Amino acid sequence: MGRYLRLYGYFLRFSFSKALQFRLDFYFRVGMDAIWYGVNLAFFGVLFQHTGALGGWNYDQVLVFICGVFLSDALHMTVFANNMWWFPFLVNHGDLDYYLVRPVSSLFFLSVRDFAANSFLNLLLAVGILVWAIARYPQPFDAASLVVYVALLLVGVFLHYVLSLLFLIPVFWLHSAHGLREIYFSFDRFTSRPHGIYRGWMGRVLTSILPFALIVSYPTSVLFDGVTWQVVVHVLAATLGVFLFMLWLWRRGLRAYASASS
Amino acid sequence: MSPRLFLHIMSVEARTKMSYRVDFWINAVVGFLASFGLMVFVWSAVFRESGEVRIGGYDLPTMLFYFVAVILYGKLVRGPQLQGAVSSDIYEGGLNRYLVFPTSYFLFKYAQNLGSLLPALMQLFLFGIWFLFLLDLPPDVELSPLTVLMGLVSVAAANLLYFVLLFPLQCAAFWADNVWSLSVALRFVSGLLGGFLLPLSVFPEWSREILVWLPFRFLYDFPVNVSLGKIGVLEWLAGLGLTLAWAAVIGLVGRAVWKRGELQYSGIGI
Repeated sequence: MGRYLRLYGYFLRFSFSKALQFRLDFYFRVGMDAIWYGVNLAFFGVLFQHTGALGGWNYDQVLVFICGVFLSDALHMTVFANNMWWFPFLVNHGDLDYYLVRPVSSLFFLSVRDFAANSFLNLLLAVGILVWAIARYPQPFDAASLVVYVALLLVGVFLHYVLSLLFLIPVFWLHSAHGLREIYFSFDRFTSRPHGIYRGWMGRVLTSILPFALIVSYPTSVLFDGVTWQVVVHVLAATLGVFLFMLWLWRRGLRAYASASS
Repeated sequence: MSPRLFLHIMSVEARTKMSYRVDFWINAVVGFLASFGLMVFVWSAVFRESGEVRIGGYDLPTMLFYFVAVILYGKLVRGPQLQGAVSSDIYEGGLNRYLVFPTSYFLFKYAQNLGSLLPALMQLFLFGIWFLFLLDLPPDVELSPLTVLMGLVSVAAANLLYFVLLFPLQCAAFWADNVWSLSVALRFVSGLLGGFLLPLSVFPEWSREILVWLPFRFLYDFPVNVSLGKIGVLEWLAGLGLTLAWAAVIGLVGRAVWKRGELQYSGIGI
């Protein structure tokens, strides 16, 4: 464990020194994410001009939800997104060899090696916005709900990473990731809307087989409905299920990997 | 640039894009269904929970029709994967070969942009025809060959406008080390202020008064409402003229940025 933490410390150091060499990109990314936050806040602001509730939540509740989406996204972008972006190229160019010969878990190495230091400021911004949304909520939240909310949100970030990798692993067989990315991004949009709007079989799919609605929306529900073991078990069980499936697929993928010699 | 060369560049780019057939179908079917499905969930919830029959001048079926059109038109307006083409040429030194071509770089890229729209154009016809057979046309929608034609012309103008909006941002690559964020930021801003995320008529009155003075409404809201028969011929002509005027003004800005950037260009990439 200590070895992995030390290794991650090195990743952070390299990433920050790299990011400081590209300062304009750093500012552009901060601006881009600030615009994304603004666009989403405006989107719900306009919608709530015409309705008092969306998916059973009022404006204040949706505001807390969407600020949770910002934080979840910022964490994903900072910790995992760059690594997910490069993964198909590593497979197709045979560069995965470099990761497989290391004396650490290859999955760990390729998932977190590139820490997006240029997104780190956005992470702080997202935390600030979420704190503001929680603070302006008309009723105070109890400490237990807040602790469970933060814990489930972190589980949601991990679930987000597992799902994004799950959609990329088929590149071992398909050799093109463009279509897979399209499918992933298409489903990922369902993360940023309250789960209460999803009805019928699609609602069941989004909370079980492709649990995008569990990433932020379910964790947020513990703030308003109180902590229930059903929600906690649901999020944890779905995350574990998807993670185990991803591990199984990853091992099968490695067996199919043709390496640089192909 | 001669029209023959322009068409040849378009044709080469179109063939390149169509060679990725699996991607085309995944993009067409899954991308469209997920985008439209999300809009169905959101707007069904809004109409159900507000109890309103009409929001921003649209009833629910017309609102959903708006989003069918805006999703399909959106792909044509933005174009696929060319966002990084100009900046990549600058970063990788690939611009060198264009600079010695006896033709305009801007027109070359614009021809490539038009050629790359073929998959999106096919998706528009496939899904457009499918939806026309599948859904009853809402009474508010006055679809006719004329409105479809006017809509398509508006989309072509919107594509040009988006291209010239993107061009100066891409030219920032002469000075900045990564401009990907700028292209994405344009997509976010134009999506909200242009009517991709929400029809502009649902915005509050004060914000609509501001939006009238910006070019973004001509990207999505205007072409879609033209196709739905909500805009008459005279108003359409005025809107089309304004779209082209905005494109000309922003194109001049892009030209000035390009000229300044050319002086910075070392030819060896970054």
